[in-house]
Amino acid sequence: MSDVKKEFVQLLANYGHIGFTFVSAILIGLGGGIYLDQKVFDGRTAPWLTFLGLAFGIAAGYKTLFEVVWRNRRAEEKERAEAEKRDGGGGSGG
Amino acid sequence: MEHPILFISIILETLGLPVPHGPVGHGLIQQLCAPYMTYTWLVMAFLFLVAKLTLGNLELVPGNGQNFWELLIGGMDDFFADNMGRELTDRFFPMIATFALYIAVANLIGLIPGFMSPTASLNTTLALTLIVWVSHHLIGLREHGLSYYKHFMGPVWWLVPLLLPIELISNFARLLSLSIRLFGNIMAKETLLAILFMLAGGFFAPLPIMLLGVLVSVVQAMVFVLLTVVYFAQAQEHAH
Repeated sequence: MSDVKKEFVQLLANYGHIGFTFVSAILIGLGGGIYLDQKVFDGRTAPWLTFLGLAFGIAAGYKTLFEVVWRNRRAEEKERAEAEKRDGGGGSGG
Repeated sequence: MEHPILFISIILETLGLPVPHGPVGHGLIQQLCAPYMTYTWLVMAFLFLVAKLTLGNLELVPGNGQNFWELLIGGMDDFFADNMGRELTDRFFPMIATFALYIAVANLIGLIPGFMSPTASLNTTLALTLIVWVSHHLIGLREHGLSYYKHFMGPVWWLVPLLLPIELISNFARLLSLSIRLFGNIMAKETLLAILFMLAGGFFAPLPIMLLGVLVSVVQAMVFVLLTVVYFAQAQEHAH
């Protein structure tokens, strides 16, 4: 594989899963809220735990999103530091 | 919709073995003869045979086959070591590399008429995902002992009621997203190919989707491996 194609596949792998992870986090939060409302508390707390679960689910979705962003920023910073060190080393050597 | 022609199922049927017509059969033998099981074994046999044929006698000056494997394994080893460190890579390389090869071959095999992708069944992908999910918690427990729970508690104590549900939900979302994404992508590819083949197979209508199918197969295998590596690395590193 050429470098461009490799980078393309890597970018897709890095960011392609964000959408699905976001949705599944929201679904699990909402499902948990509905389960607590209907099964555990028999509908006595009716809409509130569902809303709470939905809110937590959305928050969890954003958390996974930010985790991806932070991870990639850290990787970029590491790469830049390494490149600078390489350049610096080359400069002092030459 | 017409049932796709799967040659292993036809062979098994002529041998007199019961092949289930639904997604999962009844009884042990029917379950073992389900298409996703038989094609899983086919992929396993393929990988084993290819490795045996090309790596049967290792040489100091590698030939074509050995060169290919050295490039592939070396590339994967570097990639894992970059993302989760040398120690974890040495311990878990066999598992993750096997997953990568298996998923990639299993995804790609569905593009050939007469074959199906074992990963187009939720059973296969859920099994792979459960192994990854359980082992990333085991890594965390082994590395940090009982204080692994701090990973789910956030940085300060008064944020715990807010962050504990969020961390738990996002942790369980990993299980869901990892398995259903792989399953959904591959099943969509398979179904789309089958429908297009049925509608306008004579006019090469499935051809562009097949092209996209190659990309999707490679990218999904890559995503699975990348996320596995990231989860392992996160379980091992210190809490916030």
